[in-house]
Amino acid sequence: MSLEVAVFSLLALVSVLGALGVVLARNPVHSAIGLVLSFLNVAAIYLVARAEFLAVVQVIVYAGAIIVLVVFVTMLVHPDDLPEFHGRRSLRLVTGLVLGAALLAEVAAAVLARGVRGAPGPWTDEVVAAVGGNTRALGQVLYVDYTLGIQLTALLLLAATIAAIALARPEAISDRVAAARRVLTISLAHPRGLDQPELPLALPGTQDGRVKAAGGGRPIVLARSADEFTEQPAWGEWRGR
Amino acid sequence: MDWQRLIVSYLAGFVLLTVLLGLMAYMTWFERRVLARMQHRVGPNRTGPFGLLQPIADGIKLLAKEDIVPANADRLVFLVAPLLSFALAPLGAAVIPFGDTLQLFGIEIPLLVADINVAVLYVLALGSVGVYGIILGGYASGNRYSLLGALRSTAQVISYELVLGLSLVGVFILSGSLSLQDILREQQRMLVLGPLTLPNWYILSQPLAFALFLIAAVAETNRAPFDLPEAETELVAGYLTEYSGFRFSFYFLAEYINMIVVSLLAATLFLGGIDGPFADGVWWLALKALFFLFFYVWLRATLPRFRYDQLMGLAWKVLLPLALLNIGLTGLVRLWGIGAL
Repeated sequence: MSLEVAVFSLLALVSVLGALGVVLARNPVHSAIGLVLSFLNVAAIYLVARAEFLAVVQVIVYAGAIIVLVVFVTMLVHPDDLPEFHGRRSLRLVTGLVLGAALLAEVAAAVLARGVRGAPGPWTDEVVAAVGGNTRALGQVLYVDYTLGIQLTALLLLAATIAAIALARPEAISDRVAAARRVLTISLAHPRGLDQPELPLALPGTQDGRVKAAGGGRPIVLARSADEFTEQPAWGEWRGR
Repeated sequence: MDWQRLIVSYLAGFVLLTVLLGLMAYMTWFERRVLARMQHRVGPNRTGPFGLLQPIADGIKLLAKEDIVPANADRLVFLVAPLLSFALAPLGAAVIPFGDTLQLFGIEIPLLVADINVAVLYVLALGSVGVYGIILGGYASGNRYSLLGALRSTAQVISYELVLGLSLVGVFILSGSLSLQDILREQQRMLVLGPLTLPNWYILSQPLAFALFLIAAVAETNRAPFDLPEAETELVAGYLTEYSGFRFSFYFLAEYINMIVVSLLAATLFLGGIDGPFADGVWWLALKALFFLFFYVWLRATLPRFRYDQLMGLAWKVLLPLALLNIGLTGLVRLWGIGAL
């Protein structure tokens, strides 16, 4: 038992140090590294508590996916380009301290009111062992007892993903489609079908969709998209119109 | 906690690490020789018989080289990133079962360093943390090419890890467990199909998952044809550009150890691991893993590198839907009890 306490203390200490690093580091990438350190130690604490599945999911989701995205974005922004915080340093310090104290008081109140241990639920060690381990018990609860909730959450997340993609686009999809139809690619390449219909367009400086090139006999062909062309052929293969 | 088991575990881990490092050194020799054969060359043949001392000569050369830190680098991160990559690589091998138990000095030693009941997820988690070595190395180099390599690697590993994880779900559904030992036990049973009696290896019941796993694993280990993070022709070796001497060799070691661990995992998950005709044992696992390692080299000699947009398109538009299809089909088969598994 003493070994477990020692291991837990070490993990908790490093985890808190990592969290401090997140707050104190000036470089955002260093902050993210601190956060990863903290998350990994929390995952190890889950392992000590024999919640292997939770530990692995913590690593895959938080350390492996979310913080990678954070690092991904912060790497692209040079630390010197970040906007300065508003207000004087003393003001920021006081605000931080007040908010931190309020949060701490809230957590303390919650812990004191409920008691650290809480009421024992139906999943005692014996029941979990009878089902066949933590992972199986968790699956049972999530996908049998709370199936509806899981499905609804999945739907909500899907809707949020689609909404995020739609919002991140520079313009609405219909506008993009219309814009894509308007794009004309000017290419010197060899047109795939030489018998393709001329463009029903009268552009300034063009005569029935063709432009005379300044030199050589190769015409500049206006096409609706680059896909209408094959790769540029060897010069000898050019037959012209 | 049982002290004796803890010490046995540590010792087993130490032995495994030593064996892996030795194997890794000779994997470089194996790759260079096989690659040379495929390209009608001879390969390293001057250092010792068949060039067998070449890995040792390479190791000494790398250790003796100067360790250069660019002036522009984020110093601490630059120094630590290769160690991170290297430290995480061999951990995956800890959950591979190499056999049942071994009797030694009256102590029963399980041939498995750590019996975790979510072993497969553990390996996936290691892979997702392992990407930090590359990202941080690329970022800390203070070099545009390195940064680009790191960014590519991030996007690539996140995408292909999804495919890797989803391709394994079919195996989980059939075996009903996330533990490698249970998966192995399930594969040791016999599958009777009319007159045929086949081993119940998951390559037979999950061929699509096997193909997806293989492709995703090559991408996950950043090997050709998915070696875009280091693409020497366009990114001058990407995240590796600024590294020299033994820090460079740490990345190199990590890449090869990752290949070995993935090969062992593939052999255990889909080819029955230590299961084989005549006598079960670690030699079967070694043989199967060697096949996968050869496959890696073969791929490198055969296929040109993907273009970056093709790589991402392949993951998201082809492999991911196929993986989901496989999960759906396997789920239906399991639900209706076809095949009476």
